[in-house]
Amino acid sequence: MIEVDRIHKSFGPVRAVQGISFAVEPGKVTGLLGPNGAGKTTTIRMIAGFLAPDRGKVTIQGHDTIDQPLAARRLIGYLPETVPMYPEMRAREYLTYRCRLFGLGRPDRKKAVGWALERCRVADVADRRIGTLSKGYRQRVGLASVLVHNPPVLILDEPTNGLDPTQIGEARSLVTDLARDRTLLISSHILPEIERLCGRVIIVAGGVVKADGPVDGGGTGWGIAGGGRTVVVSVKVSKAGDEARLRALFASMPFVASAQAGKAEPAALRDGFQQWTLTCNEGGVDAKDAIASAAFANGLIVRELRSEAPSLERMFMRAIESDGAAA
Amino acid sequence: MRTARAIAQRELAASFRGLSGWIIIAVYLFITGVVFAVSALTPGEPASLRSFFGAAGWLLLPVAPAISMRLLSEEFRSGTIEMLLTSPVGGWSLVVGKFMAGMTFLLAMIAPTAVYPLILRIISDPPPDMGPVMSGYLLLILMGGTYLAIGTLASALTSNATLAFLTTFFAILIGLFAGLAGQFVPDVFKPVVYEFSVSARAADFARGVIDLSHVVFFAGFSAVCVAGAAVAVELRRWS
Repeated sequence: MIEVDRIHKSFGPVRAVQGISFAVEPGKVTGLLGPNGAGKTTTIRMIAGFLAPDRGKVTIQGHDTIDQPLAARRLIGYLPETVPMYPEMRAREYLTYRCRLFGLGRPDRKKAVGWALERCRVADVADRRIGTLSKGYRQRVGLASVLVHNPPVLILDEPTNGLDPTQIGEARSLVTDLARDRTLLISSHILPEIERLCGRVIIVAGGVVKADGPVDGGGTGWGIAGGGRTVVVSVKVSKAGDEARLRALFASMPFVASAQAGKAEPAALRDGFQQWTLTCNEGGVDAKDAIASAAFANGLIVRELRSEAPSLERMFMRAIESDGAAA
Repeated sequence: MRTARAIAQRELAASFRGLSGWIIIAVYLFITGVVFAVSALTPGEPASLRSFFGAAGWLLLPVAPAISMRLLSEEFRSGTIEMLLTSPVGGWSLVVGKFMAGMTFLLAMIAPTAVYPLILRIISDPPPDMGPVMSGYLLLILMGGTYLAIGTLASALTSNATLAFLTTFFAILIGLFAGLAGQFVPDVFKPVVYEFSVSARAADFARGVIDLSHVVFFAGFSAVCVAGAAVAVELRRWS
């Protein structure tokens, strides 16, 4: 469990993080998503204890990272974006060294190192020097090195950087597996990656949290205006003024954020039907039902009525551009 | 302290894995060996190690900064400091571990020179006085430790190893010439300047006198530098 409480961090005049708060629960992968320069790495570094927040606090399983730094850091496995390691060391040596830093006794070390090497599928390069490893292996040895003390909290900054698609697939299953009984926070600026890896996404931009919610709803539950589903409805328009009447009808529905009419060209207006795209607000109302009954009450002929989840990409852009964006 | 030992052992292993560590030791032993051979083994010369200790001490001026320059700056440069500072390792353990690695390297470098007094004992008649030899070694270790502590502090302040080397080199140089400079400062400052004169303290040791105040000075100054390095490392979190 990670709790981040209104943390701030400035570097000279640059206000990198301006009051970010969130909590990460164990059991699912949480993604920290944002454009480059959004404050992701600074936030993650404060959680991992590498940087001290100017204001606010971070607690790891209840341990404050400033007041009880060693207790907090003992619980964390943190892999920085650049995966810094000593090139002259062999992978096994490096993992053993990490065990010692985390206070594992000699009898436990061998087992822990073997387990981590196996887990991250790097046992075959265990006796090679880290400097000679390929990028993919390096990344996985890095992951093994932060897993070796079996921490309940894992923080990975851009963990799939430099991996090929097969390796990303493997990393994904490993990460999902690890998250089962751990608190796992991942940062990325790559949207599809977060979409595939994470159950929940926290979007940051300009040093503040822009949105926070589950990934699979495609952005529903993020609390963003127009963040609901999109309803596509085709309605028969036979005489002049029908379009204006429809617009007024849709505008009167409280759950509709915006209504866009399809072009009234002959091709689009096939058989006199006009397609409308309604962007709905989040809410408990099932927009489809409400639209169907409104159509019935107004004697409209509806040929098509379907709703679509908003795409994560659209929601991401919307979140970043939402109010207060400094970026 | 267990983590400090882990850090020291890793550091030491790294310095012996590359060529640079071996080269430093080889050069040190070669030069001190030549000085010993010329000064003490030449017929007609007294069986004294005075010249050897003089050379061994002066050689620490370039050698100690070379040992210490990368201790912490390399961690900053390569980014591995991020792994260390997010491990349950306090700044103090980290810096003490680094200093211990430097000290062990220094001892490993000085230890082989112990054959010189042994040789003298065997071949010269009358045998050399062992008092100045013991005090000479104590001085070498104290001076080397102090230089390394200064170097550890310099290395904790920059990610640039060359800069750490130069800072340490000039700091030591100031200490070595403090006695000389002391002659040109106003009288009020003279005691302060002489206090930091490494040469004046070294001269006492060369006579075979082990003055406890000198030992306390070297050890205390080293402790202050190492503590300063620990503070410098911890302050990075607040940068």
